[in-house]
Amino acid sequence: MSTENHRRPGELVFVILLLLASLWLFWQSILISGFSGLSTPGVFPMLASGLMVVSTLSILRDTARRAPGGHGFNRFLEEITPLRQAVMLGLVAFYVVLMPWFGFVITSGLFLFASISFLWRRNFLLTAGLSAFALAIIYLIFRIAFQVVLPKGTLF
Amino acid sequence: MENFLEFLVVSWFDPYLLFLTAAGTMAGIYVGAIPGLSVTMAASILISFTFKWDVNDALALIAGIYMGGVYGGSRTAILLNIPGAPSAIATAIEGYPMAKRGEAGEAIGLTTVMSVFGGFIGILALAMFAPVISKFAIMFTSRDYMLLGMIGILLVGTLSGESFAKGAFAGALGVLIGMVGLDPMTAEGRFTFNTITLMGGIPYVVAMIGFFGVAEAFVQLHGLNKPVIKQKIDRIIPHFSDVKLYFWLALRASGIGTIIGALPGTGGDIAALLAYDDAKRTTKNPEVPFGEGAKEGLIAPEVANNSAVGGAFIPMLTLGIPGDAVTAVIIGALYIHGLKPGPMLLVETPHLFWFIVGNLALANVFLLIFGLTGIKVFTKIVECPKAILIPLIIILSSVGAYAIQNNPVDIYWMLLFGVIGYFFKTYGFQVGPIILGVILGPMIDSNYRRAMIGARGDIGTFFWDFASHPISLVLSVAFLLMLLSQTPLWPVIKSLFGQKSKVLGK
Repeated sequence: MSTENHRRPGELVFVILLLLASLWLFWQSILISGFSGLSTPGVFPMLASGLMVVSTLSILRDTARRAPGGHGFNRFLEEITPLRQAVMLGLVAFYVVLMPWFGFVITSGLFLFASISFLWRRNFLLTAGLSAFALAIIYLIFRIAFQVVLPKGTLF
Repeated sequence: MENFLEFLVVSWFDPYLLFLTAAGTMAGIYVGAIPGLSVTMAASILISFTFKWDVNDALALIAGIYMGGVYGGSRTAILLNIPGAPSAIATAIEGYPMAKRGEAGEAIGLTTVMSVFGGFIGILALAMFAPVISKFAIMFTSRDYMLLGMIGILLVGTLSGESFAKGAFAGALGVLIGMVGLDPMTAEGRFTFNTITLMGGIPYVVAMIGFFGVAEAFVQLHGLNKPVIKQKIDRIIPHFSDVKLYFWLALRASGIGTIIGALPGTGGDIAALLAYDDAKRTTKNPEVPFGEGAKEGLIAPEVANNSAVGGAFIPMLTLGIPGDAVTAVIIGALYIHGLKPGPMLLVETPHLFWFIVGNLALANVFLLIFGLTGIKVFTKIVECPKAILIPLIIILSSVGAYAIQNNPVDIYWMLLFGVIGYFFKTYGFQVGPIILGVILGPMIDSNYRRAMIGARGDIGTFFWDFASHPISLVLSVAFLLMLLSQTPLWPVIKSLFGQKSKVLGK
């Protein structure tokens, strides 16, 4: 990571996003019960989201004071979401999208195979065998031993 | 109360509980040792599977995991110079140079014996002080619980992370996550956006798995290609003379560990660093200089982090305030099992308290056994490539999130929290305060509202109550002092007092 004197790539944008989210949450908290009393359900959410707004403002001030890291977006891609993280994020997204259709076992198998072959880069058979083995162990431990019902998909 | 001895030894004689404790301890050692797998992560994933079990079974497994996991981090610290857990950072400083000199076996043996010693001191403190504290805690009102909750969140927010503002933000975010769903007092929806899915709230175990499991997995992707160093192992059983020589040091370190562990929000990590610092300052003529493999510096942090385990259970069981991240997860487990950690736990279910004490002691015995054996097999497993480990963590986290209430939406929440958590970690926010916020937020909320209703909605009476009741006053002062210590005013006050005492001294 970068030193204390420099902003990390994308940090300023991140803090601004946090501020916007906090302001929106504060607005949502006001909508719960407004300012109608001191013991209403909305009081505490308003305090918490208010604290979020105040603290992000302070974080924003500190962040803005530090010197920018330079080459903002390119460095963000290099350091924060390099190819490895980006691909894994994509795979996780696929995992979430496919699960309702294919169910836990098939989706997880595909996810394991895809992510291990991407991260480990060994031959096809070894990766496939390893994914199948890992999945079998997980199935045995959780489905059979712990009796956890695993998600089923609409197709399988 | 009279037959507490019976409950104390339940797990020692029941073969199934014995097995679960052993399995938990064993698993804990390995989980704790593998960098990237943390005890908190393991405990939060496991709890989601054990909530259908009998309480005792679940607690036996979790106690084992906790005990083993805190210790496990030391092994990778000694062998590979990679602390398996933050609590083993100081261990690596002294342990790895010892391993480089060919004393890896001795270092591991000494660490194990001393960790077990520290563990017992912590458990002893738990058995002795928890009943006293909980008797006192029955006198606490909703006002005091609100203050305790606020102190709990404050400590974590300040002790970790880059700045107080970041800790405060994380804590407040956690509070809001905890608020989602129907308000327990009026059944009004909060942040439900008129959807049925959100009415039940977001289970905090889901948030925990996301923030600790998946987020950490993404962070670990950065150091995927670090080479692994191999070590040779010989003598493991430590010399008796060493154990005797370092006895007083270990006793002091376990005192530090227990107290730090018992403070809400601080756990084994801080205890280990403080004990290391203490050993460094008090050891006059170490055989080997600190930083080059001094045994004193190896023993102190390891004793402290294991004694912090017993310490961390004290506020959790007596006040319902977690002592560290793992006990925060265990509180979640207790709630799932229908128990209410707090002063009434010892009154209503004393058997459970003594069961936990006995079980922790049992886990500690297993720690000694497993700690001194299987080190060669261990070195092989630790070398498992992260490229395989990380996808597995994501899958395990998904099963864990789903298992809580068989709701696929929880998997999506968990993964979303994981991704957000990655960015938080990258930009210097700690995720620990978020989890404490999720757990303590609803507690502070309901107690605040009760206290306010008790004051008939009059803000003057509400604040006067804080000053006019002795317990509330003490807690308020503690809270204000802690808050003050975070502001730029603190060094000024401290130097003022420092000068005064110097003048008085003269």
